[in-house]
Amino acid sequence: MLQAPDREDQPLMYVTTTKNAPEPSVATKLQIERLSVFYGSFQAIRDASLEVPENCVMSLIGPSGCGKSTFIRAVNRMHDLSPDVRVEGKVLLDGANIYAPGVDPVTIRHRIGMVFQRPNPFPKTVFENVVYGPRIHGIGNRKKLMEIAERSLRHAALWDEVKDRLDKSALDLSGGQQQRMCIARVLAVEPEVILMDEPASALDPIATSKIEDLIGELQRFYTVVIVTHSMQQAARISDYTAFFLMGELIEIGTTTEVFTKPKDKRTEDYITGRYG
Amino acid sequence: MNNLTQRARMQPVLGVGTGIAAFASAAIVFLILIFLLVFAWPAIRFNGSGILTGVIWNIGNQYGSSTVTHNGVTAQAGASFGGLVFVFGTIATSALAMVIAVPLSFLVAVALVYRVPRKLQPLANTLVELMAGVPSVVYGLWGIVVLVPWVGNQLGPFAQAHLSWVPLVRGETGSGNGLLAAGIILALMVLPIMVATLRDVILAQPPTIFEASMALGSTTWQAVTRAVFPSVRKGFLAAVLVALGRALGETMAVLMVCGAAINQFPSNIFQAVNTIAAVIVSQLDSALTDASGMAQRSLAELALVLFLITLVVNVVARLTLRGADRSAQ
Ligand SMILES: Nc1ncnc2c1ncn2[C@@H]1O[C@H](COP(=O)(O)OP(=O)(O)OP(=O)(O)O)[C@@H](O)[C@H]1O
Ligand SMILES: [Mg+2]
Repeated sequence: MLQAPDREDQPLMYVTTTKNAPEPSVATKLQIERLSVFYGSFQAIRDASLEVPENCVMSLIGPSGCGKSTFIRAVNRMHDLSPDVRVEGKVLLDGANIYAPGVDPVTIRHRIGMVFQRPNPFPKTVFENVVYGPRIHGIGNRKKLMEIAERSLRHAALWDEVKDRLDKSALDLSGGQQQRMCIARVLAVEPEVILMDEPASALDPIATSKIEDLIGELQRFYTVVIVTHSMQQAARISDYTAFFLMGELIEIGTTTEVFTKPKDKRTEDYITGRYG
Repeated sequence: MNNLTQRARMQPVLGVGTGIAAFASAAIVFLILIFLLVFAWPAIRFNGSGILTGVIWNIGNQYGSSTVTHNGVTAQAGASFGGLVFVFGTIATSALAMVIAVPLSFLVAVALVYRVPRKLQPLANTLVELMAGVPSVVYGLWGIVVLVPWVGNQLGPFAQAHLSWVPLVRGETGSGNGLLAAGIILALMVLPIMVATLRDVILAQPPTIFEASMALGSTTWQAVTRAVFPSVRKGFLAAVLVALGRALGETMAVLMVCGAAINQFPSNIFQAVNTIAAVIVSQLDSALTDASGMAQRSLAELALVLFLITLVVNVVARLTLRGADRSAQ
């Protein structure tokens, strides 16, 4: 973690550390244009537009029910699975709209992986969980799968804990281990973007800090968008922060800016604890 | 009012009540078995293993007074009660029904759970239930009016023209009454219970399993078959067995479309067959004219065979379901 910005006028005392944003020359990985999401007639996201640069971490924050999960699920077309949800607007991945006609959501989800709030292991062995993605994408060679499993589990900082129980049920792992296994499972399909919906909310502080360290690592290879309830967490791990309120994107900027010099009064109210 | 103590007081009553009900149904099954055994006993002695191996069903010469005696039991001269054709027909029609219904019910259940918009789901579920409630004879009527002519006039000639290289399909296709029509009717009749059971076991799974698979870039089909299905396999197998139990004993609709074959096996899926249940109904009239009474008793013996087959299937289904419950915990 990097040191606190040396600002005199820092209004938020509890933000002790924030990451520095990367150099602004990086390419845009995700560009979301005027995104709206409807559950039946209820509009849960209104006209949200934002950009996520490559190889950075963006946090989505906001009070419960403001639409963070709804937003993030639109980014890998998970809403397609619910027949009653309608998505409008564009999500450009490397400049190409993933909602354009003829785009196969299956290939999109291959490129944009997702980690859920609660660990959701398959009732299979640890090994079978991790290689599930590669298997469905056609890799059958046991040796190759083993390599992938080891690489992904190492990357998810779980290898040492599970290397002797790869053929045991994943359901027997602790919650934190299950969540890291679910991250390894996503890494195994080598996506370009990883979406995380409060990946640490069901975990204790130690497991949480492991996941946070891991996210810092992942950033070198992936673009990460993470929903979090904890503003401290957003401050610790993300380069950019987006604040949502009642389905609207209120503010987006570098994490330092948003937490120290929020432009919008509502953002300031929220991060100083006056709202929600 | 103290609801809790009242409920506690009710508890033993409920326990005794369900106990009596369970005991009563076991006792009824047992009594039916005893009845069939006693009534069929002379036929069991007369027919020996012939009831399962014989091909000829002939109640004997009813006009002469000559009789034959075997194992101390007497029947009309020329009588032969071979049930193999019917045992075969029962198994063949049910097996064909399963071949059709298993993949179809799987597809329908998957579509019901994952593809039908939530608003339409109650409607779709009601349709499935309605299908389960249609009386057997209505299926049979539909079979006679629609299915049999279609098989006889369209499918049969088509198969003769293009599929003559397929074993079990090539050859005379006949009127449409036969194995295929019976199998299709049975498949439709057991479809609702299979769809409903499979739908329920899928819905009982945490939806996160399906989502997890989809989020890894699987197709819906891969998610269902690789992630969801392994945990519902046993429940599905139990549903298949329960459905099989019904198909084996189904009578009216099968009788109306099976062609009521006697003394011959079908040589392909289009030809006439007969099942135990259907032959009991269709042969009852003539059996009642048998002066020796052996024809009735032989039909009862066939009923006993059917009873035992379905009993075994149902017991296996129960055991599988229990296994499924345990593995779900
Ligand atoms: N399947 C659904 N059908 C109808 N409304 C929904 C559905 N899912 C979410 N909503 C509504 O959409 C809004 C946004 O929900 P969402 O789950 O995206 O919020 P969130 O910001 O992720 O909240 P939390 O922090 O509690 O997870 C809420 O008002 C919620 O009630
Ligand atoms: Mg949420």
